[in-house]
Amino acid sequence: MILDYSPSELMAVSGARELQDHQVVAVGLGLPVVASFLAKQTHAPNMTMLFELGVIDPEPVDCGVGLADPRVWYRASVLSSFVDILGTVLHKGLVDVGFLGGLETDQYGNLNTTLLGDSHGTFRHMVGSGGANDIASCAKSTVIIMRHEARKLKKSISFNTSPGYLSGGNSREQAGLRGGPKRVITDKAIFGFHPETRQMMLLSIHPGNTKEDVLNTMGFLPALPENIPFTEPPTQEQLRLIREVIDPKHMYMG
Amino acid sequence: MSKVTTLAEAVKTIPDGSHVALSGFAITRCAMAFAREVVRQGIKDLTISQCVGAMDADLLVGAGAVTRLIYGGGSLDRFGRLACVNRGIEDGSLAAEEYSSLSVAFRYLAGSLGLPFIPIRSLQGSDLLNRINERSGSDVACVNDPFSGERWLSLKPLLPDVSIVQVQLADENGNAWIMGPRWDNVEQVKASKRTIVITEHIVPADFIRREPERTVIPGLQVSHVVEQPFSAHPTSVYSEYDYDSEMIEKYVNASVSHEAFSAFVKEFITNTKDEWEYLEKVGGIQHLNSLRADPILGY
Repeated sequence: MILDYSPSELMAVSGARELQDHQVVAVGLGLPVVASFLAKQTHAPNMTMLFELGVIDPEPVDCGVGLADPRVWYRASVLSSFVDILGTVLHKGLVDVGFLGGLETDQYGNLNTTLLGDSHGTFRHMVGSGGANDIASCAKSTVIIMRHEARKLKKSISFNTSPGYLSGGNSREQAGLRGGPKRVITDKAIFGFHPETRQMMLLSIHPGNTKEDVLNTMGFLPALPENIPFTEPPTQEQLRLIREVIDPKHMYMG
Repeated sequence: MSKVTTLAEAVKTIPDGSHVALSGFAITRCAMAFAREVVRQGIKDLTISQCVGAMDADLLVGAGAVTRLIYGGGSLDRFGRLACVNRGIEDGSLAAEEYSSLSVAFRYLAGSLGLPFIPIRSLQGSDLLNRINERSGSDVACVNDPFSGERWLSLKPLLPDVSIVQVQLADENGNAWIMGPRWDNVEQVKASKRTIVITEHIVPADFIRREPERTVIPGLQVSHVVEQPFSAHPTSVYSEYDYDSEMIEKYVNASVSHEAFSAFVKEFITNTKDEWEYLEKVGGIQHLNSLRADPILGY
């Protein structure tokens, strides 16, 4: 089968499919921005995009190096503050979907962005939380975007920066948290979470990959429903929007 | 009353061991001139706090001025990580208390309102909370909602001795405008005992009074006002100037080792007598002018 789209494009389209009209979405940089703009341009024109530092619905025309780059704030409808965005919107419970990424995740969708350790107790400190823990704790649901590699999808992670379903079952609720991860989108597959055990559950496999490709490149065995379809490919119109309207300069997707 | 003074005089008012809140966010509106002057004056043993770790804190840690950092994680965006902060955490020389961004913002917010504590949904179930409990159990605790009985994690307010805030413009009394997003800066200022405003421009009070709704920092919180152009260099100031990629890359390359960083600090900071000499050293007016922001784009 000849694919006329990249894995990143399929990930962005899959992310967009998780968003509905009138929802409030917390995004970081990269693929989530493309997914959110794509949703806005198609089925969710009344969606609101939030950036943690105090930016709502920007319309960037140049590539930024991160959230701290004024290129990312261009033509925003609101420029305010952490307390305004993460407080009066996120903490209050108004964010429907938060996008998260990380160095590592485990079968319960717990995310590590803080440090990478080895078994000898030495570690390298990385970036830490920023607003990620807040989004993981306060959003109604989260969508995790990760590269599909065994060193990223792990049996156990070095540090739980942003809680998913903790140790599964109802442990998240017992810790006082609502919401939780809804999807994990990788470049090989899409996962949900089992409604009772809260284990990651393989929902669909991206065309061009086999079930073995998916399972052999991750550090734990996800729940496997009987019927695992292929992920629905992007439409020509979605690809046109990504390539010609949303990301013509390859600002977000290399 | 004019609160205008020089950077050197303002920095001299900060004793060793102070708790200083910094206005930087990664590589934007960082209190870089302040950090450089702290290094020139040899001030030590600082506690630094900010919502998102930024280049101002990283420079101070790398130069050995900081013993304690209260922050929500951070980076230099795609330029790299906070290498000096990370090295300090890894070798144990820096006592870092790591939160999420909103929890640090809420600690300032509680301080700004004079509240004894503030409940929060964040942190629960995370290793961030486990670490905070191990290191400083007194800064987080559980309370029961007196109305519903629901159990809540609560945080102690942060009450910095002084906030250092980089702004685009202020009057002589410290009434200041911040253009662009303000992240935690307003809560930082209002939680602190006092504030040093470092501004790109001092404007007449009448200019502020024409649009006073834009004043996010009231002069009553401010002890000193310093006018210092390009004082956030090499980080950006929205609507004033862009970040200086070349200089940030130089910083990142130097921060890979303690030795290289010491040489960097000597060349650009301790060997320059003040900010004017620093600005000449990094390229002077011709180079700095090339960083000037487009008035429509803001960068």
